[in-house]
Amino acid sequence: MRISEQTKQETRARILEKAAELFIGKGFEDSTTRDIALAAGLAAGTLFNYFPSKETLAMTMVAEALGRGQTDFQHRRSGNEDLAEEFFLFVASGLRRLRPLRPFLGPVLERSLSPFPRKNICPEGETARLEHLAAVQEIIGRHGFTEAPDYVAMTIYWSLYLGILAFWTNDESPNQEATQALIDYSIRTFVQVISGTGADTGGAHAD
Amino acid sequence: MRTEKTTDMELLDLLPKDGTTDPAGERLAELLARIAMKKVPVNSFSRIWILGSLQARVTAGYFAYWLRSRFSDAGEKQRLKSEAHLAAALRMFGTMGYLRGAIMKLGQLLANLPEVVPEEFADVLAALHFEAPPMHYALVREVFLDEFGREPEELFASFDRQAFAAASLGQVHRARLHSGKEVAVKIQYPGIARTIKADLRNLRLLLQPICLTRDWQNTLDNLADLEQMLLMETDYEQEACFGKQARSLFTEADLIVAPKVYEDYSTKRVLTTEYLRGCHLNEFLARNPSQAERDRFTHLLTVATFRVFYRLRWLPADPHPGNFIFMDDGRLGMIDFGCTRVLSDADWLLSWESIEAGLNRDQPRLNRAIAKACLFDDPQEMSAHHLKTIREGFEWFMEPWLQEGIFDFGDRDFFRRGVDNFAEGVRKRYTRCVAMSLWSNRFTFGGRAFCYRLKGRCEFRKIFLQESSWDGPGKKLVAKEIS
Repeated sequence: MRISEQTKQETRARILEKAAELFIGKGFEDSTTRDIALAAGLAAGTLFNYFPSKETLAMTMVAEALGRGQTDFQHRRSGNEDLAEEFFLFVASGLRRLRPLRPFLGPVLERSLSPFPRKNICPEGETARLEHLAAVQEIIGRHGFTEAPDYVAMTIYWSLYLGILAFWTNDESPNQEATQALIDYSIRTFVQVISGTGADTGGAHAD
Repeated sequence: MRTEKTTDMELLDLLPKDGTTDPAGERLAELLARIAMKKVPVNSFSRIWILGSLQARVTAGYFAYWLRSRFSDAGEKQRLKSEAHLAAALRMFGTMGYLRGAIMKLGQLLANLPEVVPEEFADVLAALHFEAPPMHYALVREVFLDEFGREPEELFASFDRQAFAAASLGQVHRARLHSGKEVAVKIQYPGIARTIKADLRNLRLLLQPICLTRDWQNTLDNLADLEQMLLMETDYEQEACFGKQARSLFTEADLIVAPKVYEDYSTKRVLTTEYLRGCHLNEFLARNPSQAERDRFTHLLTVATFRVFYRLRWLPADPHPGNFIFMDDGRLGMIDFGCTRVLSDADWLLSWESIEAGLNRDQPRLNRAIAKACLFDDPQEMSAHHLKTIREGFEWFMEPWLQEGIFDFGDRDFFRRGVDNFAEGVRKRYTRCVAMSLWSNRFTFGGRAFCYRLKGRCEFRKIFLQESSWDGPGKKLVAKEIS
């Protein structure tokens, strides 16, 4: 019997939901695909038809959250932001959507977004990375900054972003406010590099 | 004003000299140059974070000089070791972002000692405050989402995206409530409390090995006290509580107003108060106000500070011009209670004792109170010059309290004498004191500098007698102590 597309989507959503509950409850490392299949009411083999690995499951959640973050960013953007402010809005909108997943994200991001080359690239992680960087390119393009070569700018950005994510997953301050300050300063640094000017684009205090 | 283009030689000239080991101050200058070279290779960052400006370097120079004088007798090996710590401490001192405004202004002030003129002194005092980095609107929005779960524009009927004022450790935006009421919304830079704690902890650790004298412990105590006050400034719920208490002290007839706090729109990191329509000191002065207007606000300012002092035992320890509003309807607005020092019983009694001795011109008693405030058991433990300098400063402070009739705070000679006394104390490094003294000095000089710029007069003694006659807990404490 062929199952309908709708049933497929429902099952996929249920797996993601149950997996998130387990990851948050037991931790990413201690949750097995068997646990997840059981919680979703599926045979372990069926689960693999949807997600080939636990890592793919987690990175799918990350990619979807970042996707929602991008939509939020588009809605929240007024068009009057300067480059630093727009970047901040972009990064902060993504992190806000990732926040429910924060309890288990450390090991997941470490594995899937590592900047070091690996044999088995997690395609979901790679897709999330490329989409994120495309959005960054678009923001830079909108403001017309071209000082650093693309690959340099993107590498610097990605290093800063991973640093922010790493700090954030471990940030114990209320509402991860320490991360907000880190994003603020990281982005100002990055903007200085790509714009190649000494101007303080963070905006000055009003008199 | 000096520019950043000032040459190295000029900078060298500004630095204090260590007469015996380093008469030209070269080693110190070298040390500072080495530190200043270590930049993050980004321009605005160097401005924000490091000793990039001349003023900051001059301040650091004085700071270094003061620290070095503590190990000038040590052997060469000890000195080298100490200098390594000193370099690290200076770097730390220069990177405390939220203190950079204060550091630079203090540098300006110190660079001009001993030739400092009253006008400069007053200007610099006005600019001495702690400042967080500016926030763009995207960051403000994140703070709102975390504090209220809503965007500023959802919470308020309207919200200005651009800040209209810098506040200590944050900034202020104008907004309108759905009721139509205009409000001022103060927002704190995220995580600033952690930064303060970490910076001061590191600074203490770095300084520890180079400081061995008894006064060093006092420096540590005062640093700890500074940390407490700064941290208190980060708690807007506490500030709201101060604001409400202050508001309840004044009736309509007093013509002094502390703005209403809107608790539903306030949290630990966001403080929403009524917006008071008016202007600050500079704008007021630019209108060339009449003497009667100047006197009127000097009177209100004196009443306001005496009232909070005698009724609540408060020192408004940051009498920054931005904290007072010359309201369009002629009232005086007091708007910032973040840096409010509540005197402990011991501080209150010591302060009462000193004032009593000053009022009665009882020099032996005043000497004893001064010794206590400078952490000596007996006036005889102090050098004659030390005691005399501090006592003259206190007598200067008491002059308006003793004069019948009008006192003129715009008198240049009077203000000049206070500044000279201050400069003498800095030169001789008479810094040891109870923590309260730091704040009462800031309060006194801040207030006097404000009134000096205002060129205002008032019946100071009469106001003091009126306000101090209030029968409150402060009086009861004194009565208990006497009995």
